[in-house]
Amino acid sequence: MAKETEITAPADQLRVVVVTPEATLVDDLADFVALPLFDGEIGIAALHSPLIGRLGFGEMRLKKGEVEKRYYVDGGFVQVADNVVSVLTNRAVDAKDLSAAAAESQLEAAIKQKADTDELLAIRDRSIAQSRAQLRTIRHAK
Amino acid sequence: MAKARALDKRRKAIRNIRKITRTMELIATARFKKAMDRAAASTAYTKRITALVADLANAGASVSHPLLEPRSEVKNAVLLVLTGNRGLCGGYNSNVQRTAFARLQELKASIPHVSVEVSGKRGIAGMKFRGVTPDATYLHFEDKPRFEEVEVLATKYLNDYLTGKIDRLDVAYTKFENIARQQAVVETLLPLAAIDGLETPGEKTEAAEGAKTAKAEVQYEFLPSAESILEEVVPTSFKVKLFKCFLDAAVSEQIARMTAMKAATDNANKIIKKLSMTYNRARQSQITGEIMEVLGGVEALKNK
Repeated sequence: MAKETEITAPADQLRVVVVTPEATLVDDLADFVALPLFDGEIGIAALHSPLIGRLGFGEMRLKKGEVEKRYYVDGGFVQVADNVVSVLTNRAVDAKDLSAAAAESQLEAAIKQKADTDELLAIRDRSIAQSRAQLRTIRHAK
Repeated sequence: MAKARALDKRRKAIRNIRKITRTMELIATARFKKAMDRAAASTAYTKRITALVADLANAGASVSHPLLEPRSEVKNAVLLVLTGNRGLCGGYNSNVQRTAFARLQELKASIPHVSVEVSGKRGIAGMKFRGVTPDATYLHFEDKPRFEEVEVLATKYLNDYLTGKIDRLDVAYTKFENIARQQAVVETLLPLAAIDGLETPGEKTEAAEGAKTAKAEVQYEFLPSAESILEEVVPTSFKVKLFKCFLDAAVSEQIARMTAMKAATDNANKIIKKLSMTYNRARQSQITGEIMEVLGGVEALKNK
């Protein structure tokens, strides 16, 4: 990471940057991006109006020409400005690299967990939503 | 001959030591570069989060989050100590432990229940020596801490804090300031003091205003709302801060080892030089002695 070379997107495309605390995963041009917002999917094409949104757990699709890439995004934020889509997330994984077994065991553990206060309930719901989103992404990738 | 041979043996031993310390220095240098790259990669994330928070703050969002509010009564505190798994890195481990121990005494004086969690073999051994039994130990954080691993820990602390099981979290680690300077520090991560980008001291606002005029003000659409997004930023900010602690500790450990091994190699060089000189002198005096003996013999024969 010596110098960040800024790619400027042409008018009919947008630049997508996916950053996790560990590394910059994607820095590329795309025609269209679909992102999992907290309450459903949002599609972003070129020249979208500026936006800051909260992401949920789910599948992110990057479409460039005929190629479509799928990633699993684990919450975070999205910022759209100047034809640049910045996705800030804790974890972004190629949908093919997700492990179904791990997600299933997390779901099972979460369902079994006792939740007798509001805080614990919120923690459990979060875990359930996270594992279900992973399973969903895996199904779509097949 | 006995003395000269002993000296030669010692010199060989020290040459071996030099070989080892030199190799360790090179390895530490390579690891340090890698760790440094990782730290640099993580700043891309922090920068963007800070920019995002600044944009949110510009839109007039203010945040109140349980993680930001200090508890009126602190009953349970956790002190997390980050040390290395390995030694031979100068004062790295002992510095962290000394700072951590001082803080521990302070905490124990005012808080009824303090639990200690230690990462790294060296820290565990050091705490045992000081008569402190850690409540939890971690050994899996090597020189490449992964965010996923740290996140597990961070989520645990977050959940414990939110459910009231802990009221305060302190982390003792070696902060990386620059290549020549690393310092053992103790920081309070929970409750969170502030979020970068949200605080507004003089210079910060100036910088923000500069950015504003440069880019004109962008009118963002917030989904769902600026406040709600800020609320979500708070736990993320904590996780990233904890991750940064681990990264800093890893980088600092490699630097400490690098310097320690460099000093050891230099020292070995010096000793070898000194020993060579004494060895040569001893050998020379031995030869002189032998010549004298021979000459003495010759003289004795002549006189007959």
